[in-house]
Amino acid sequence: MDFDAIVIGGGHAGIEAALVLSRLDFSTLMITQNLDCIGKLSCNPAIGGLAKGNLVREIDALGGEMAKLIDRTMIQFRILNRSKGPAVQAPRAQADKALYALLAKHVLEQADNLEMFQDTVVDFIRDSSAGEIRGVITERGRRFTARTVILTTGTFLEAKIFIGEYSTSSGRLGEPAAIGLGKALRKIGFDVGRLKTGTPARALRSSLRLERMEEQAGDTEILPFSFSNSMGSIDRPSVPCYITYTTKETHRIIRDNIHRSPLYGGKIKGIGPRYCPSIEDKVMRFPDKDRHQIFVEPEGLSTEEVYLNGISSSLPEDVQEKFLRSVPGLEKLVILRPGYAVEYDFLNPTQLYPSLETKRIKGLFIAGQTNGTSGYEEAAAQGLMAAINAACFLQGKPPLVLSRAEAYIGVLIDDLVTLGTKEPYRLFTSRAEYRLSLRHDTADIRLLEKGYSIGLQKDKARQALLAKREGIDEIKELLRKRNVQEIDGDILPLLQKHLGRSFAHALKDPQVHMRDLIFCEGKLNKKKREWLDQVELDLKYEGYIRRQEKQVDRFKKMEDMKIPPDFDYDRTVGLSTEAREKFKKVNPLSVGQAARISGVRSSDIAVLLVYLKRGI
Amino acid sequence: MQKENLYNQDSITALASPWGESAVAIIRVSGRDSLSMLSGLFEGRAGSGGRGNSGSPPLTEAKGFTMKHGVIRVPGSGEEIDEVVVAVYRAGRSYTGENSAEIFCHGSPAIIKRILDLLYEAGFRHADPGEFTLRAFLNGKLDLTQAEAVNEIVRAKTDRARAAALSRLSGSIERKIRSIKDGILKILAAVEVRIDYPEEDLEEEIVSERELEHWQEELEKLVSTYGIGKILQEGIPVVLAGRTNAGKSTLFNQFLKEDRAIVSEIHGTTRDYLEGVVSMGDIPIKLYDTAGYKMPAHSLEKEGMKRTDRIIRASRLILYLVDASTGVNELDREFFSANQNSKTLIRIWNKIDLSKRPCPVGFFPVNAKTGEGIIKLSEVIVERVLGGRSLESAEPIIDSIRQKKLLERALGALKDFRTGLSENIPLDVLGVDLKEALDALGEITGEVTSQDILNEIFSHFCVGK
Repeated sequence: MDFDAIVIGGGHAGIEAALVLSRLDFSTLMITQNLDCIGKLSCNPAIGGLAKGNLVREIDALGGEMAKLIDRTMIQFRILNRSKGPAVQAPRAQADKALYALLAKHVLEQADNLEMFQDTVVDFIRDSSAGEIRGVITERGRRFTARTVILTTGTFLEAKIFIGEYSTSSGRLGEPAAIGLGKALRKIGFDVGRLKTGTPARALRSSLRLERMEEQAGDTEILPFSFSNSMGSIDRPSVPCYITYTTKETHRIIRDNIHRSPLYGGKIKGIGPRYCPSIEDKVMRFPDKDRHQIFVEPEGLSTEEVYLNGISSSLPEDVQEKFLRSVPGLEKLVILRPGYAVEYDFLNPTQLYPSLETKRIKGLFIAGQTNGTSGYEEAAAQGLMAAINAACFLQGKPPLVLSRAEAYIGVLIDDLVTLGTKEPYRLFTSRAEYRLSLRHDTADIRLLEKGYSIGLQKDKARQALLAKREGIDEIKELLRKRNVQEIDGDILPLLQKHLGRSFAHALKDPQVHMRDLIFCEGKLNKKKREWLDQVELDLKYEGYIRRQEKQVDRFKKMEDMKIPPDFDYDRTVGLSTEAREKFKKVNPLSVGQAARISGVRSSDIAVLLVYLKRGI
Repeated sequence: MQKENLYNQDSITALASPWGESAVAIIRVSGRDSLSMLSGLFEGRAGSGGRGNSGSPPLTEAKGFTMKHGVIRVPGSGEEIDEVVVAVYRAGRSYTGENSAEIFCHGSPAIIKRILDLLYEAGFRHADPGEFTLRAFLNGKLDLTQAEAVNEIVRAKTDRARAAALSRLSGSIERKIRSIKDGILKILAAVEVRIDYPEEDLEEEIVSERELEHWQEELEKLVSTYGIGKILQEGIPVVLAGRTNAGKSTLFNQFLKEDRAIVSEIHGTTRDYLEGVVSMGDIPIKLYDTAGYKMPAHSLEKEGMKRTDRIIRASRLILYLVDASTGVNELDREFFSANQNSKTLIRIWNKIDLSKRPCPVGFFPVNAKTGEGIIKLSEVIVERVLGGRSLESAEPIIDSIRQKKLLERALGALKDFRTGLSENIPLDVLGVDLKEALDALGEITGEVTSQDILNEIFSHFCVGK
């Protein structure tokens, strides 16, 4: 074997995958079509956001790279949803795109055990009789062998770009698609589908009248994404974004030209994401709405290019220019790159085990947009997990599968392999049943030990976690023991009604905040801000969190009932035909997973239980 | 695999004998804590087991395979519901393999319901169809060679139960609950979209106070129909009246399709009254067969007719039979004039085969003996009972304490949401309340998945940048 592992693709999934394997001392080869395109942010210039920000911090807790990359390349930071609740606050940063990509490439180049090579993989080497992967064949005829292969080809598989009447074979504007591999996958028998996504136009900053738009500045305080960076250690510039709105005239122009849209003209067959519709979709589907937001976001510090967030479009370039110029502030806009739609092959992810290994070929793992997801963070999370499990595969260990109750990563992967997807899949907080327990600030408590036992976290990080745990416990203990006294009520009248009760109790009052209690109790002042924040949320929402933990317990019982992978559903009398077919397709590994498959009824689960107990 | 993992050993209960009037009914309970939970309701008579009774050990200490005589009381108020005998079974030596008991009570639907309601309040869950058998199987109490059969039973029972539940849910109540659920789902979507799209250009107000008020009222209205539902469940009283030998008992039997009432040629066979529950168009009808009117001969008959009058007064509908072969006579006319304004009277022209007289206007022709015209008659009865409205358009009524409990849970959660919203409790926490409301309603009509919420978001909000 030439290598232990081969990673195909150098996007956000590929980066995490290559780093995990090489860091775990496996000789790893990354093959990518263009080394200069490693870590490119193909669409919006931002990392994080709702649920995604949690993903980034979970990736970090497990020992991934994304958080560290964005911490060093951000050009604006914000905590979203501060007012909407503890569980749904999420960090998001605007990234300097070029810097981000450069840094990602540099980190890869510096990694031990990792080689990078520029070529295009067109086929696999397999041991068909054993059903195992053996390596890859490239466009230039090179053959590389390896015991495991991770496929992270993003939107490039048999990809096609559309701008109005124009279309070409391309994965990103100006970059050729990966041709051949999609066909090879189909030949092997994989269920391959088509998806569509889009991106808006990029414009020259100096052609915009920013003074006619609302300015949106970042937070003054930066909370690092990575748990290895302490609060206050991030020293990055903060540049604003701008907000403007489409007008009725914009909508008229779009409607008048809708017949020239490849989407509405029927040229694009792939299904696009409902959560991130193109501007033509917004206008056509919601005719009552008379304006749509546009965020003008900088692409970096060393460029004048700006990203027009909210108006992705595949209308012809002349139409794009015309409708954009009807927007206040964009009257004289100069387009540098037009918006476009891209249609690409994806593999239905129900063909994967929760480890992200394909059910069809042993040792072949698939991660990222190839599995039908969308978003850098979703891709990175899968790349990380696929590589962790490829490492487990190489070591002969059982895979690491995170549950829905312990991580957004668990929700993401379970959704994919259990339900599959029909549109580009994006993570939302509402997809997580137990989101109160999945706060971004607790990602290290939830997952860092796991990262350590895999070998991706150093002992130093673990010690820091232990110190954090202890610190948090101390604060909680202090708040439970310290009762509200008269003098506290004098300092803070709000506390008067909690007289005689503990501080911990008082904190449950929506009006009372940790920042107030610090005034009354000097000992609190010496504690770390992050820890105090975490304790405040823990205690304030204790009741709700407990309620959810009870649900989690019920959930775990179902998850703990394992189904053998070779379970024979054809011999199971009493299953409905629909359930039998779905079970055979998804091959659930637990009763919990089986129950989540759509169309499965409780009677099917009862039958399954009877058979499992019987142990056929 | 551990046995303990296979299922939650919570305590379940269900009526083991058929629903309806009978001498004795059997209610079964099972579960690890079932005996201690039951002992809170059971008070043993002297010489038997029970709580708070000097000299007799409590139910929890009763040996397996023993019978305990006592009463079921409402904890707290102490109200006595029924005198019962409880058969105690111990874990390992019971049908299900768990601690369990059988309560032998009087077979009146009202009493059965009262006892079941008390058991639910004490923490028992209504058993799923086939659950006792399933537990028995999982605890190894059934021969493994029977597993195939058990499987079939589990399936069949579930499917049948599902069909039954669905038929009970069909029509207005299901539509009503669905509409409430959709309403709350919309509110949840409005909450979620504000969470997942923090920068979207959305209105400040998530949901209007009026809308919340509306859904709360709808839930309250539905909960309050539980009393009506109970009547519905126990049956709507419908009485058969008429002169002696008009064929009341024959018609009664035809409806019940069993020889319950004694049918004979001798006038005045039915001196007392008989009752039976039949289902007409999914509505339980409590049918009374009464002593017939005649010129009173002796005191026993007088007493019977007095009772008939009482039953007639308590009934929702009177089916007055006239023998076609004898026609309408003075007694009948007297009855009609006394009840002429009543909308609840159906005049029936029976024994059409024995007479050449045409059926008079305002009469409904049947042949109670052969069943001719009886299907049509049932339809007319249902129509009358529902006040001319079809079941579909009738105001929805809930009939089970399970539904009531779930609706109350939804109502409580919705109220919590309202309070929280006014107190500016964060949205993600408030989402828990709405999800709870949806879960509760979902248990009545079918699950709500997070996918439903997302679908709702994307069909109603234009989001995404």
